[in-house]
Amino acid sequence: MSTARYPLGDYVPGESWLHRAPLGVKFLGVLLLGLGTFWLKSWGASVAVLALMVLLFASARLGARRLLRLLAGPAPLLLAVLVFQWWQLGPAQAVSIVANVYACIVAASLLTLTTPVPALLDGVVSAARPLKRIGVDPERLALVIAITLRSIPYLIGTFSAVRDAARARGLERNPRARAMPVLIASVAYAQRTGDALAARGLGDAVTPENPTRDRTAS
Amino acid sequence: MSALELRDVVVRIPSDDERPARTILEVPSLRLDEPRIGVLGANGSGKSTLLRLLNGLQEPSSGTVTVHGRDTRREGRAVRAEVGFVFTDPLSQLVMPTGREDLELSLRRTVPRKERRTRAEEILRRFGLLHLADQSVYELSGGERQLMALASVLAVEPRVLVLDEPSTLLDLRNRELLRRTLSGLPQQIVLATHDLELVLDMERVLVVEDARVVFDGGAEAAVAHYRRLCLAERA
Repeated sequence: MSTARYPLGDYVPGESWLHRAPLGVKFLGVLLLGLGTFWLKSWGASVAVLALMVLLFASARLGARRLLRLLAGPAPLLLAVLVFQWWQLGPAQAVSIVANVYACIVAASLLTLTTPVPALLDGVVSAARPLKRIGVDPERLALVIAITLRSIPYLIGTFSAVRDAARARGLERNPRARAMPVLIASVAYAQRTGDALAARGLGDAVTPENPTRDRTAS
Repeated sequence: MSALELRDVVVRIPSDDERPARTILEVPSLRLDEPRIGVLGANGSGKSTLLRLLNGLQEPSSGTVTVHGRDTRREGRAVRAEVGFVFTDPLSQLVMPTGREDLELSLRRTVPRKERRTRAEEILRRFGLLHLADQSVYELSGGERQLMALASVLAVEPRVLVLDEPSTLLDLRNRELLRRTLSGLPQQIVLATHDLELVLDMERVLVVEDARVVFDGGAEAAVAHYRRLCLAERA
């Protein structure tokens, strides 16, 4: 398995102002930016927001290489989106859509790259506590988010390994030879991860028959 | 009370479009009290199913499995707190981006938030892994990953440690490291392996063949029995 890494889910230790900023503020920033992009229709405004995100990235001293890797990951997909939207809606709208998506990716990475996963879990558990009333388990919700972040580099690594295997067999143009193994490997990964979580008792429901030995609420 | 006990256990896989129903493990009666127990068997013999029963990952189709008197079906959560499980592939087991974060995840249910980091560091230091605490799990060597997975499981101080082929992906040096680490642990260990050297460290060894325990005794006799089984198959 290739260990190709996509930096969205990796925490980078540091002392920048973004590292020190409260999780709630960072989360609110990402949320507002995500919602705000729905109202950004001018390509100039979208590119300006993306530039601002890049400046914030630089101010957190997260490294130019990491930024390039972050932007390069979804580039093939976003290039296809750009071409399609250019054809459908024209160049201004197409550039605006792609810049908005990139701005959201960089914003989300600013949150995950400057926040340790345990702090992120604690934050999600605290924020989701009111949802307990409607049957949502905050611990499980936090775990789902953490596992999703952890899965991104694995799935990208799987995609690279399958692409290499298809190339080695001269099947690089066969979409089935590339899609099916990724799908199967992803399902197998999900099963193994589920087994590992179950074996460690993470995400277990607390019932009278299955009492917890928790000594902490968080 | 026996540490681990299986009574009239049968594990069946129901029929589907391609295959009829079949039994993948049948154990009339088994008590496991020794501190070091090995399980030998060919791929598909049922040894992993036997191990998964001990942690409640696999429920028996009929019969009961108890761990220190707790039924794995009715008290699964409590059983999992007592029985740590180490998988063959540590990358599946380590669910957080770094070892430190994974250990902190293990400690979430038992250690207050403010103490988790310190406790995680203590455990990493004990295993000689503190210098790798913040390294991505993808960047660790096979042996380091397996030890990290072991540390994550031991963080919650289980009474029993179950390991499913933990040395399969390791080179000789890392296998020796794992072997030394296991020998120093206070937990009861139940370990399935193809590594005949590792199994010789065990006090009692079961050989599983065709969904049944076909040998139960000392390590050397078990290895000899297993060799005979394999060679008889080839002949």
